[in-house]
Amino acid sequence: MKSNKGLFVAWLAVLVVGVILGLFTAVNLFVQGHILFNTSDIVIWTLPLGVYVFLALTSSGLTLVAAIPLVFGIKAYEAAAKRLVFLAIATLVGGFTAIGLELGSLPHMIYIMLSPNFSSPIWWMGALYSVELVLLLAKFWRLHVDDWSSRFSKGLGIASFVCAVFAPLIIGAVFGITEARPTFFGSFMSSYCLAVAVVSGLAAFILYGMVYFNITEGDIPADEQPIFEGLSRIFSYAMGIALLFYVLNVAVKTATTFPDFGTKVHFQILLALVVPYVMMIIPSVRETTWGKTLASAIALVAILGMHMEILLAGQVRPVGPKAEGLGEFVTYAPSIWEWLVFLFALTIVMLLYTLGERYLALGSRTAHAAPPH
Amino acid sequence: MTRYAMVIDLQRCVGCGACIIGCKNENNLPEGINWSYKITETSGTFPNVRYHYTPTLCNHCKFAPCVRGCPTKAMHKLANGITMHDPKKCIGCKYCMFNCPYGVIYFNWEKPHKFWQDDKPVIKGCTSSPKEITEHVKADTIPYYNPDRAETSAGIRPKGIVEKCTFCDHRLKKGLLPYCVEVCPANARIFGDLADPNSEVSRLLGKYRPFRLREYIGSEPHVFYIRGFNPGHYEATKGGV
Repeated sequence: MKSNKGLFVAWLAVLVVGVILGLFTAVNLFVQGHILFNTSDIVIWTLPLGVYVFLALTSSGLTLVAAIPLVFGIKAYEAAAKRLVFLAIATLVGGFTAIGLELGSLPHMIYIMLSPNFSSPIWWMGALYSVELVLLLAKFWRLHVDDWSSRFSKGLGIASFVCAVFAPLIIGAVFGITEARPTFFGSFMSSYCLAVAVVSGLAAFILYGMVYFNITEGDIPADEQPIFEGLSRIFSYAMGIALLFYVLNVAVKTATTFPDFGTKVHFQILLALVVPYVMMIIPSVRETTWGKTLASAIALVAILGMHMEILLAGQVRPVGPKAEGLGEFVTYAPSIWEWLVFLFALTIVMLLYTLGERYLALGSRTAHAAPPH
Repeated sequence: MTRYAMVIDLQRCVGCGACIIGCKNENNLPEGINWSYKITETSGTFPNVRYHYTPTLCNHCKFAPCVRGCPTKAMHKLANGITMHDPKKCIGCKYCMFNCPYGVIYFNWEKPHKFWQDDKPVIKGCTSSPKEITEHVKADTIPYYNPDRAETSAGIRPKGIVEKCTFCDHRLKKGLLPYCVEVCPANARIFGDLADPNSEVSRLLGKYRPFRLREYIGSEPHVFYIRGFNPGHYEATKGGV
């Protein structure tokens, strides 16, 4: 590995600044409360919650992609497995950072386990992601000690895969069972969350791989090339499904006369989904490093945008007496503190990625000769 | 088994807002939080306009979506039908606000009543500061603090958790009416046991065709509205010709 010490130190310095800013934000939030957010009794879940959903689903997506070699035994992807599991852990920790600051209290995050309400999807979401984190940590430990095929290791892989399937479905159900907010209600949100989890997991891994290998190796190593080619192809299929979900959502929104669906359609998000999809279905673009980098980066931004658009669409119409003195819809833009929560969660993810790559030999198993199909 | 419900007679209601103010005093509510409030609507075009006033509060739904969704059972049902909130169990996830079809659950975004801790007088050297007034009357947080509220729940709910109407459960325990019912100068609020066929609420619901807010959701609200104030008069015609 060609290491660039100067670049590494500079990158660490950036991360340290991010962590300091994040801790400053956390202390302020714990002391002053959510008055620092641009939230209200109308728009109650905002950017920090959107970031949590984005990172938690991305983590599930990474776990699902890791299941290709670890559960379904496709050996051609084995070289990526350990890195995928670690990235899933790091991304989930970032998600927990965002939700912790959204709640504004760490004891509250823990208390959720002590007084469970089994009819609440929020409880199931917390429980599933906590279990998933433990399973991923255990699975990573087994992979780190080169235990790929014991029954325990395989069992951990299967259990984390099952968690990664149900956790996005439950996140969808958090929204999907709210009769009070018709834009969320129904089974659509669960299937949407699962599809988007796969897309964001693939996008995160491809982007990470492109950036990491280009910085450290100058290019994608020959033995990793087939993995990224195969995953890029799956990425294009998954993007197609996500695009279909988004178009379906826009179609319902624009076709219905139901007032709750009357919010603006953000065509820039649609464009941000179409562009990477088109890039990934053109083989000559898909095979290039710049094509994969750009497409996955645009897709990740678009998916965060999708989450925010859907999250806000169900809230910007005031309900009952809270509509007094207000128009039909209210507007929302994140406060600087909400952006800082976003930055902190992202910094935590990046810091763990960096440390993991540095000290945990994430690419320690080489790929088998057979290229992925 | 007792099943508390409220009937609001819109013909008697004069829209004075005494219920809102009474509730705020009784339950030590901070600025911006209204367990009891109203929906006002204007219909028609000038000069043919009407103003409608609908008082609101927690509907104490039979199938309360806030109770189903609360991850820690902080929001729970009492045997008498009251949808109760336990501040000690609330983690501030705000999912009940998300689930409530009626927009009657509020969040403490910051330290409640913080203005009463302000030591700056309105006019320097002339008036006392809010903090001085609070200290002078030896009050807990606010000068008009009602200690009765703390008998069944937190007297003042802290930052970072939600709060809502409890049908004044602390008063019901002493055989008193909810305070909004007590202070209504028009006697427009009728409170009682829906399970008792001879109660006044049962009698009124049998006599007048009631409606409930967003009934189609199926949450079975237990705040019913009857009649409607309308002193208007118009000449009878055949099809407006």
